[in-house]
Amino acid sequence: MESFPILSIITYMPALGALAILFAARGSNTLPRQIALVTSLVSFVLSVIVVVAFEHNAEFQFTEHAVWLEDLGVSYLLGVDGISVLLVALTTLLSVIAIIWSWGTIATRNAEYYIALLILETGMLGVFMALDLFIFYIFWEVVLIPMALLIGIWGSSNRIYAAIKFFLYTLFGSLLMLVGIIATYQAYYLETGIRTLNVLELQEGVALGAYTSTFQFWVFAAFFIAFAVKVPMFPFHTWLPDAHVEAPTAASVILASVMLKMGGYGLLRFNLPLYPDGSEDWAPIVIALSIIGIIYGALVALVQPDMKKLIAYSSVSHMGFVTLGIFIMNLQGMEGAMMVMLAHGFNTGGLFLIVGVIYERAHTRQISAFGGLASRMPRWAFYFTLFMFASIGLPGLSGFVGEFLVALGTWEYNPGAALITFSVVIFSAWYMMWMFQRVVFGRASGQAPDPGDSALTPAEQEEIRRMGGHDTGVEHGTYDTNEHGGLQTQPVSGGDHHAVVRHEPDGSSYPTHEDQMDSSRWADLTTKETLTLLPLAILTVVFGVYPKPLFDIFEPSFQAILEGAVRVIGN
Amino acid sequence: MPVNLEVPDWGLILPQFIIFLTTIVVSLLDAFLPKSKQYSVLTVVSLLGYGLGLVTLLGQAGENRSTFHGLFLADGLTVFLSLIILVAAILTVLTSASYVQHLEGRMPIGEFYTLLSFATLGALITSAAGDMVILYVGIELSSLATYILTAFAKRRTTALEGALKYFLLGLFASAILLYGMAWIYGSTGSTNLEEIATSLGGLVSGEDNLEASLLLGLLLVIVGLGFKIAAVPFHFWTPDAYDGAPTPVTGYMSVIPKAAAFAAIIRLIIQGLEPLSDEWATLLAVLALITMVFGNIVAVAQRNVKRMLAYSSIAHTGYMLAGFAAYRVAEGFGDGSEAADLGVASVLYYLLAYSFMNIGAFAIVSWIQHRGRGMELEDFNGLGASHPLPAAAMTVFLISLMGIPPTIGFYAKYYVIVALIDANLLWLALAIVVMSAVSAFFYLRVVAVMYFEEGRETDRPFSTPLLNAGIALMVVGVFVLGLFSGNIIDLAGDWSDALTIVATARP
Repeated sequence: MESFPILSIITYMPALGALAILFAARGSNTLPRQIALVTSLVSFVLSVIVVVAFEHNAEFQFTEHAVWLEDLGVSYLLGVDGISVLLVALTTLLSVIAIIWSWGTIATRNAEYYIALLILETGMLGVFMALDLFIFYIFWEVVLIPMALLIGIWGSSNRIYAAIKFFLYTLFGSLLMLVGIIATYQAYYLETGIRTLNVLELQEGVALGAYTSTFQFWVFAAFFIAFAVKVPMFPFHTWLPDAHVEAPTAASVILASVMLKMGGYGLLRFNLPLYPDGSEDWAPIVIALSIIGIIYGALVALVQPDMKKLIAYSSVSHMGFVTLGIFIMNLQGMEGAMMVMLAHGFNTGGLFLIVGVIYERAHTRQISAFGGLASRMPRWAFYFTLFMFASIGLPGLSGFVGEFLVALGTWEYNPGAALITFSVVIFSAWYMMWMFQRVVFGRASGQAPDPGDSALTPAEQEEIRRMGGHDTGVEHGTYDTNEHGGLQTQPVSGGDHHAVVRHEPDGSSYPTHEDQMDSSRWADLTTKETLTLLPLAILTVVFGVYPKPLFDIFEPSFQAILEGAVRVIGN
Repeated sequence: MPVNLEVPDWGLILPQFIIFLTTIVVSLLDAFLPKSKQYSVLTVVSLLGYGLGLVTLLGQAGENRSTFHGLFLADGLTVFLSLIILVAAILTVLTSASYVQHLEGRMPIGEFYTLLSFATLGALITSAAGDMVILYVGIELSSLATYILTAFAKRRTTALEGALKYFLLGLFASAILLYGMAWIYGSTGSTNLEEIATSLGGLVSGEDNLEASLLLGLLLVIVGLGFKIAAVPFHFWTPDAYDGAPTPVTGYMSVIPKAAAFAAIIRLIIQGLEPLSDEWATLLAVLALITMVFGNIVAVAQRNVKRMLAYSSIAHTGYMLAGFAAYRVAEGFGDGSEAADLGVASVLYYLLAYSFMNIGAFAIVSWIQHRGRGMELEDFNGLGASHPLPAAAMTVFLISLMGIPPTIGFYAKYYVIVALIDANLLWLALAIVVMSAVSAFFYLRVVAVMYFEEGRETDRPFSTPLLNAGIALMVVGVFVLGLFSGNIIDLAGDWSDALTIVATARP
């Protein structure tokens, strides 16, 4: 395969598209998105070919190698194993979906938007393919800027804060990793006299004893912080809710479905094989943090009034399963972690699209602003149901496979930990279904919360109190978000876009929103939206029922990691 | 020294000589050309002069000889430093021509180019110096011309204030430097760097404690040069001088006089005082740390972009000093030569990277000044929407200054950190990393206002073809010079020619 650099083509195709937009299509309104769609589709098709042609063994395949900075031992080395090949395919698929989603919804600075999206794709693909730490680091950092710009330019009200927070958190983590990279390089050089940053060669240093236990302890920490910020693990997660809430839908999808996986992937590819002693020393701490993250994410998700924030915290919880599965260090756990990563890619990506659909229509993400959408948007409600159950981990959908395997693995590691962890799954069902109930069923949109409803959030109760409940007679108010994302009631000014609430002393509310609102605003899914949701829905069902093809691909790689085997470059 | 009547090899000083001729030609043309033609003719002559200098310089690559009885050296270090200086001079001409011609009440362009050329010549002489006297002459020539350039926008009081501060403190620094040189001369009996190293090698070997006079000389030299490179705590002139100077001159000041002072540090301290490396390496490591910490932390508080860049250039001085500090300890590993190479080579590469990204950032500041905007953070509001290309270029320069791949600033920082870890100076490497994260905050703030804030309504239309070409050149450089960092660091590694003398002289 040396002759045909298919991985490079997959990686740089989007970057080429970005260049084409920059130089040829900046003034145009439609050309940028066409170029973006075509180039990302090419990458996607090629990555599917790579997955199909991938031989089911632990070797790195489709490798490309070229000497770059000889004195430093830097070479341009790309290759995929069973883990990365799937993540590459996930990346290209979700990039296509993100671009289709953005079709026609980007009002300002079209060209720049697609350029950022495409460069982001190139960076992410490079991260999953690079087998040289120097190259890896470059791609790792390339991802930062376009994502920060996507959040900061096309995000919602508090976007600048979110963008800068995202950038600084991740940058700090990755700079520590840079020191770790150079320290490893130096330790290997002192042991062998060879200067290299090739991961596979550096891994041989483990057997040679190049890395002492103390060294591994600290360098593991340097890498770990970088990846833990990206995953994000409790307590490094605080950038995530802000970033998710403010980001435009497409960026949220990419962020949740692909970028978070970069952290899990980094732990699997670098921390475990390069620093086995360090991994052993740190494992109890990482496991403890994972379990805290699982519980904490679920509990905080429970009380979120904002749908995107709820899903963001649920991501913290789900990604806790990933780190837990990785660091209990058995095959079930790791394979489970991998399945959770893939399933989280489908399901959470899907959920963000689901929220995006109604955000497009209502321009609010507050759970309390919606209700009874099932009757108005049945197809949308169907997809919502599917992704919600998949996210909870209903058997037969993809979320189940991974979490079940992690549960098995954790039981093997420590039954107590398994019990604590998986009793928390109840919460994930709780927050998801509760949100679902309030948005999809519940009272119709625009109706005031019922004070008699026992399932009110504190925010809603506060709101009822402020509105004076039923006793103050006539009260007008719109539901809107203020700039802090909280709820506010505002006086109505004529034909407002927002749902208008009118209370009468007898408790009935009118007018209903059919009268009040343009019914086309609540139109069901458009073709474009279906196109983005359908592939994810199919994948989550297919791999929930029959995940074996995935296991066939990644199982040899995990066995090799567990055995600490140094893997070779295949075909 | 025995009198030697051989004919000096004039060919070896050809690049310096060409720049000298350029200076003369420019000043004559300034006197005799009609005003209307000065702008175009003088710009072309300057560019041609520097370009020709570059070409002859490349012909010297691989040489390792001296001429004028050891006063001038033509070795790998001279070639690399002169390369940086000439490239920076060309970039400065490209970015300053229209500023000098049109802004701040039309400054006299002929004098500007003459002074620029003198300052460049001084820096070139410093980097080729084989003798303390020549070194001092070079530094002074470069400094004096730069003092005047700082005051060039004479209608602004801040310009005069900054220039006066720079001038007075610079004079002190020169005097201190000269005093230190005198002590070194007193201890070793020579002004020739090669002979100083030889005689020091004899003095140091077998001695447990050094003579106080030598240490005093070393300390004074470091303080004097510390002023010139604006290392903390000798940096007080920097913000005012940088702020007061016309913007392209600020870019120039942050690179060429600094390159000259770094040349002096390599020549005088690393080459001449190499046997004292135990002493000065620790000193430089501490200076590096406080310089980068101070520069970054104060930069965070700046709302004026030009001042922010001034403080950040102090921080970058700190990163470069750290590379020097990596010099000594490397010898502990046994094959010191290669590792020692990397410490100084990384500084040289950093200097090249720095000249591109820093002159670039200042060029964008003058670009928006041409359009009637100021230099405050607010003046960058909405640049991303109204002028996407300059905003993108500024983003590239700032990302590079942060040290984020795939830009040249990343490679430069990478080499310095590798050298530091090589030299077991992990604490300094970590300091660079932490400080880079801090610096990201204030650089990013500029990017943030450019893209995330609403812009102002109207800009004065203005055409700046030369400036645009210069900016485009630097953007390309920031990406491409990083890709070929392997070849460039090889070339920078030739600086160790300067050490061959010492190696033979060592006991």
